[in-house]
Amino acid sequence: MSSEQTNLVVFQPSGRQGRVVSGTPLLAAARALGVDLDSICGGRQTCGKCKVLVEDGAFAKHAIESASEHLSPVDESERDYVARHAAVFAPGARLACAACVLGDVVITVPPESQAHRQIIRKDATERPVTLAPAVRQLYVEVEEHQLGERLGDWERLQDALRREWGLEELRIDLPALRQLGPALRDGKHCVTAVIWGEVEVIDVRPGYATGLYGLAVDVGSTTIAGHLCDLTSGAVLATEALINPQVTFGEDLMSRVSYAMMHDDGLAKMQQAVLAALNKLAGMAAHAAGLRGRDIHELVVVGNSVMHHILLGLDPIPLGGAPFTLATHAPIDIKARELGLKLHPGANVHFLALEAGHVGSDNVGVLIAEAPDQQDELMLVIDVGTNAEILLGNRHGVLSCSSPTGPAFEGAQISHGQRAAPGAIERVRIDKATGEPRFRVIGQEAWSDELPPEQIGATGICGSGIIEVVAELFMAGILRPDGRFEPDWGARQGDKETRRQGDEETRRQGDKETRRQGDSDSLPVGVSRSPGLLVSLSSRVSWDGQKGSYTLATAEQTATGRPILVTQDDVRNIQLAKGALYAGCKLLMRRRGVTQVDKIVLAGAFGSYIDPLRAMVLGLYPDCEPDKVLAAGNAAGDGARIALLSTVRRAESAVAARKVDYVETAIDPHFQDEFVGALHFPHMTDSFPHLEALGLLPERRADTGRARRRERRGG
Amino acid sequence: MSENELSDDDLWLQLQDDLYDGMKPEVAAATKEALDRGFSPQEVLGQGLVAGMDIVGADFRDGVLFVPEVLMSANAMKAGMELLRPLLVETGAPRVGKMVIGTVKADIHDIGKNLVAMMMEGAGFEVINIGINNDADAFLQAIREHGPDIIGMSALLTTTMPYMKVIIQALKDEGIRDELYVMIGGAPVTEAFSKAVGADAYARDAAVAVDIAKAYMSRRRGEAVAA
Repeated sequence: MSSEQTNLVVFQPSGRQGRVVSGTPLLAAARALGVDLDSICGGRQTCGKCKVLVEDGAFAKHAIESASEHLSPVDESERDYVARHAAVFAPGARLACAACVLGDVVITVPPESQAHRQIIRKDATERPVTLAPAVRQLYVEVEEHQLGERLGDWERLQDALRREWGLEELRIDLPALRQLGPALRDGKHCVTAVIWGEVEVIDVRPGYATGLYGLAVDVGSTTIAGHLCDLTSGAVLATEALINPQVTFGEDLMSRVSYAMMHDDGLAKMQQAVLAALNKLAGMAAHAAGLRGRDIHELVVVGNSVMHHILLGLDPIPLGGAPFTLATHAPIDIKARELGLKLHPGANVHFLALEAGHVGSDNVGVLIAEAPDQQDELMLVIDVGTNAEILLGNRHGVLSCSSPTGPAFEGAQISHGQRAAPGAIERVRIDKATGEPRFRVIGQEAWSDELPPEQIGATGICGSGIIEVVAELFMAGILRPDGRFEPDWGARQGDKETRRQGDEETRRQGDKETRRQGDSDSLPVGVSRSPGLLVSLSSRVSWDGQKGSYTLATAEQTATGRPILVTQDDVRNIQLAKGALYAGCKLLMRRRGVTQVDKIVLAGAFGSYIDPLRAMVLGLYPDCEPDKVLAAGNAAGDGARIALLSTVRRAESAVAARKVDYVETAIDPHFQDEFVGALHFPHMTDSFPHLEALGLLPERRADTGRARRRERRGG
Repeated sequence: MSENELSDDDLWLQLQDDLYDGMKPEVAAATKEALDRGFSPQEVLGQGLVAGMDIVGADFRDGVLFVPEVLMSANAMKAGMELLRPLLVETGAPRVGKMVIGTVKADIHDIGKNLVAMMMEGAGFEVINIGINNDADAFLQAIREHGPDIIGMSALLTTTMPYMKVIIQALKDEGIRDELYVMIGGAPVTEAFSKAVGADAYARDAAVAVDIAKAYMSRRRGEAVAA
């Protein structure tokens, strides 16, 4: 039967190969063969991260003939994608999610398509917590059983716990009961009981036993991070993180919900994937601390609402559309074994409360860690991810909302965007006089101008790099406040007349002639004549019709041999993302009736790497005293850790979560205006006195947003 | 700057410039001046407002303008339309076409859809914007009430876009699918999805939506003439 026909697929440079059923998409083949191939959109031909090259010719080593015809032809949506991203597509490149295997092929995965092992730096920061964990261990001497006495082991342990510790009405978990007899025997009637929540004996160990451990986990849609803590000292013994394996089912939350909608076993598959990852994480953390997974007696989990529901096997589909109904808002305590988690057999899992359909227990974690509700200062807490969750408040009340920033800040939807990994450009500076950039890539200490080009090996731009390059372009006047590449850039600094003429010509030629040129040599290099200085202006701005782009890294500086550009569409995507974030902040401020805040806290890994000042220059959030903009690291994970160490804080958070006033931004009548106003750098109308005092904003040109048409027609 | 000193040609250019720059009072003034000079409402609409919005649309497509600028122009156009609308109704002038547009059930995001609606109005279409969270019945009711040529559906979430298929099926069940041109859009929507759910067209952005709608209306008029 033809459906049984298989073909050999060889992936380079990994060399992984295997036979797949004819018609299998390359992406599926790569996954099945364990090939490191990125994909963000989950195979919908929208992210372009899975682009691969098919090799043509005979490969004696594998005894196959590879040809581009051995893949299914390019269909409309793939052609559409490639046409829109021609600048970053090598001729003949294919999207692995669209191309199906029809014959033997050798496929090369270019460096920028490899998912890499992500660099995740989610270290626990020190926040003071008063220890009051849900589990404690109690040593007791149990009376020996006398003949004729009608008391079992458990009844005598109960007596001892009542007598020595004043504990009444305890119950015992079945696995602990199984341990009890042997423990009494081995401990010569002395045992250490582990009590959960003052109500249940969940473990019994012979004699005097010490060591009590718990794990706090933040289940993010991309990253799962956990802190293993000593519950007797509060010390963090190990911090581990791994990629959430659910990314296979779609990178963003809604694609996961969609996967559950489209597949009967979708929820079960995603639940199993995340549970397996949790088991792995527990094992890794325990190992790092010289322990075993079964030494963990308590687990606290925070996560967004969709992660929470999937982890518990609750239907996430209602979270996919208005009115975004949760199965429950309340905190949940269940046995880890019920979920198949391989911790101590009696271990409990505590799921923190949820705030709303879009604001999950990860934000309750942020609430615990940053505790805006216990302060006088009015704080804005921003947790940037694919969705940004925002808290605004102080002890007089806290508001929250979620804003759909999309994945642009994480490097998706950016033509040369990538996740934070070695080779990614993370820092950028642009000389205001010349427009020349220098940058630093992850994994290297030196800046690009201190290295020979071929030693840099840049692979793309990560989230923090994108913020920096766009902010620097704006500060240098290469981007206008409205986000457009400045057509007169260079002219303003130098030879205005010549430059303007050249520009007009380019524009008149317009779409037809310059469309496909797009090279930096399509425009003359301007020369700036400051008094006594002769500075060459950068030739890094090039034009494709009306759309400008900026060459951040030259071909020699990259791993691929192709330059890394920031395109007009990239800037537009950043504008949309930052507009949504700023609008969310402003809506909460409007509800609260304030025009400024005392303090801004940036939570999440992203917040730790972006430069807070440059982010403010772009207008990711409103003006604030720069010293009062702070990165809080993984506040959600820290909140989980605090909840692990303190049942008092845990209980407080459940109350606080209910008190937070959730605002649905999308249906707020002011959202559209706030969003549109926030699309400009830093904002169309809002002022940024702190940035202006520092001289960080380029001077506003009188013609911005006005009389464009007349300018366009040359007066 | 007074309009009454300009030649007719310059008046149109001035109106288009003011529209491009989003200058609301100036657009209203120029519209009024054109009417005072005796141009018909259709002429003012076509040579002034629609011609001006054409330039805005082209520059939006080419990346020269972005959402805020286009919205400002669309708002300025509204000022002109407020003057023209009663006159157009009075004269019974035929419009370019009529569209019912809305966000589908369970989806509450509407900025993109609003932008499409405004650009369509800018191109001279009559647009009935039925807002967010519309089920099939809401669409059917609007269709019955307004008799549009085109239906526009929008969804921002992967999870809400499948409902478009439900609406298209409802149109079929009502026997009106073939009379309507169904256009869809929104961040997660793709050409392939559009084909899969049986829509007539997918529009990547507001400028493309206008081009597609105009092309459809002129095809349809061509067919009507030929018939």
